Amino acid sequence: MMILDALLQGILMGLLFALVALGLNVIFGVMDIVNFAHGEFLMIGMYTTYWTSVLLDIDPLFTLPVAALVGILLGLASYYGLIKYLLRGPAIAQLFGTFGLMLFLRYLAQFLFGIDYRIIQKGVLIGKSLSLGPFIFDWTKIAAAALSLLSFGFVYYFLHKTKLGKALRATSINKEAASYMGIQTDQMNAIAWAIGGGTVGIAGGLLANFYYVYPTVGLLFVMIAFACVAMGGFGSIKGVFFAGILIGIIEMLFPVFGQQIGWEFLGPHFKFTLVYLAYFIIVVVRPQGLFGWKQ
Amino acid sequence: MIKDRGFFLSFLIMLLSLFIISTSLYAEEKEIKIGVLYPLSGAAATIGRDLQRAAELTAEIINNKTPGVDIPMAQWGGIPNLGGAKIKLIFVDHRGEPDRGADLAKRLILDDKVVGLMGAYHSSVTKTVSAVAERYGIPMINDSSTSPELTKRGLKWFWRTTPHDDYFNKDLFELLKGLTEGKVKGVKAVPKSQIKNLAYACENTEWGSNVAKSLEAYAKEYGFNIVKGILYTANSPDLTSEAKTLTTAKPDAMLFASYLSDSLLMIRTLKSMKASPRFFWGQDAGFEMADFTKTLGTDTNGVLTRTVFIAKIANVKKVAGQVNALYKKKYGDDLTGATARSIVGVQAWAYVLNKAGSIDRKAIQKACNEINIPANELVMPWAGVKFDATGQNILGRGLIGQYQKTKEGKIDLEIIYPFDLATANMIYPFPGWK
Repeated sequence: MMILDALLQGILMGLLFALVALGLNVIFGVMDIVNFAHGEFLMIGMYTTYWTSVLLDIDPLFTLPVAALVGILLGLASYYGLIKYLLRGPAIAQLFGTFGLMLFLRYLAQFLFGIDYRIIQKGVLIGKSLSLGPFIFDWTKIAAAALSLLSFGFVYYFLHKTKLGKALRATSINKEAASYMGIQTDQMNAIAWAIGGGTVGIAGGLLANFYYVYPTVGLLFVMIAFACVAMGGFGSIKGVFFAGILIGIIEMLFPVFGQQIGWEFLGPHFKFTLVYLAYFIIVVVRPQGLFGWKQ
Repeated sequence: MIKDRGFFLSFLIMLLSLFIISTSLYAEEKEIKIGVLYPLSGAAATIGRDLQRAAELTAEIINNKTPGVDIPMAQWGGIPNLGGAKIKLIFVDHRGEPDRGADLAKRLILDDKVVGLMGAYHSSVTKTVSAVAERYGIPMINDSSTSPELTKRGLKWFWRTTPHDDYFNKDLFELLKGLTEGKVKGVKAVPKSQIKNLAYACENTEWGSNVAKSLEAYAKEYGFNIVKGILYTANSPDLTSEAKTLTTAKPDAMLFASYLSDSLLMIRTLKSMKASPRFFWGQDAGFEMADFTKTLGTDTNGVLTRTVFIAKIANVKKVAGQVNALYKKKYGDDLTGATARSIVGVQAWAYVLNKAGSIDRKAIQKACNEINIPANELVMPWAGVKFDATGQNILGRGLIGQYQKTKEGKIDLEIIYPFDLATANMIYPFPGWK
């Protein structure tokens, strides 16, 4: 029973980890750029939900469109204001460029909002739980998981069924060939950044329902997002989805499992060690990740 | 005779040159630099900011004559035995990282040429910083790290003003014992069977893991039963499995050693799981910060925290109220256990420098070993500051407070332990989050 409970809790949390990583993977897939500022995008999504909800006195769930919009605009601004210029330089410039963007956004948030921890207190789902027999689930996490599924469905549909999505995938597979076919790769890059920013904005908005908001909060999640992307396969939407869930399950199941088999010394403080161990094993055994590159 | 005159002359020259050297030394001593290491960015930046404010306020009180504070140092206007020299605090940011702390300590000693060090809040950082101080023979006064191990390493250049966790954990078990004996204000004796089973979750660095060890030891000594004990990674993105492990053990009391971010997440997570222990206690740190109640609001009603300072101490101690009023006027918050300890840290430095009457490190070492700050000159409810051979202040003591919701829906921190200082009836059992 405890194992089943941990499994379900793991899936809920894993779906959110996956949504955080989704945008990172889309950007990498299309442009081969690792966005180090991804965690800061998440943090800005969280602050957007926090401030919209507190200042306008509306339920945090209804602020998600605002968080998504801010995310999209942030993605576009980052692309047109910075990344586009970095593309002219060597690959190392892109690395340092997004790293600089990370520091800039983090300390801008610290400057604007201060270093106080903030938590949303009011909301229809906040503090409410669903009891099903022996299981108790946090409603905010159920909502987060459901909306994560929805976002994945949307991005998957967009990439595989729409003409624009197909153009985006073509760009990701071979940029040069795509441009010969008349695809505006510059636009495609911008769309990738918009999707990246939008999805992580939503993830931030969902997270703010049950997590504290703080200028360096992105750092905690971005490490997991990197592991997610590498485990699932760079550029693979399916991969990042299942890798997120896998990480959620390992993280939740491991301490319970340790307890069940009497290995008490394997306490919860080892749970992320196991997550990164799984990452290490997958990368060694299957360097292309669970679902290969750019599938 | 001529020979004698030559001797006399050279003696005179020597005396004169000594005088010149010593006056030039005094001229340099107009400012005494103390390096202060606090976490000013990263997850613990909030506490670092508050600690810095408290330390700066104390330096201001010492450096300028401050009316309305009945502590002699408030009338000094500088260190009297050093010709009125001012204390200059140089703050550096260790971000809660032990290796960074050690690097910064080296820089403070070698580049800034500080006379001594203070800090570093996180026990793990204090451990590495004090090792550097020891290597260079530079005195360090630690104001707010509470891992008992820190003063058990035989260091010659390290002194700690705050009581450590062994004192505080003992206080916790005295309170639990008091509950069963009917000693707690407003609570009838509770049968031990109702409060016997304890579970703890502690963060896994130097501080938390030592709290865990100490809780295990005291539980045995006082005849309580630990049904579950876990260590967890500080600053975790998710504490669901930790909270689950605690709730499934169905303990009577839940005990925590967490920094701010984790204490917020833990309470949120336990609330969503409808956890309902009878007793909920936090080992200071996250649980006693101003941001804890500001962020969680009435969700903290009934939560107990060990601390060393509660604003209500002003009812029984005048100077505590005076300094608290100055701090509140300037920064808007009451002093907390952590910030009040920062005040005592800077105060201890001032007294030590005054006693030493020199910035020679041997003289400071001697002064530290001999210092005795009387109780009535401290903002703390302590018997004073006096160090034993290990560098530990033996006159400190702890408090246990409880957050209680007032009629206006605000949260007040009331003193519950020691029983003779109690300012309110204890809320028992813990009301939970309904």
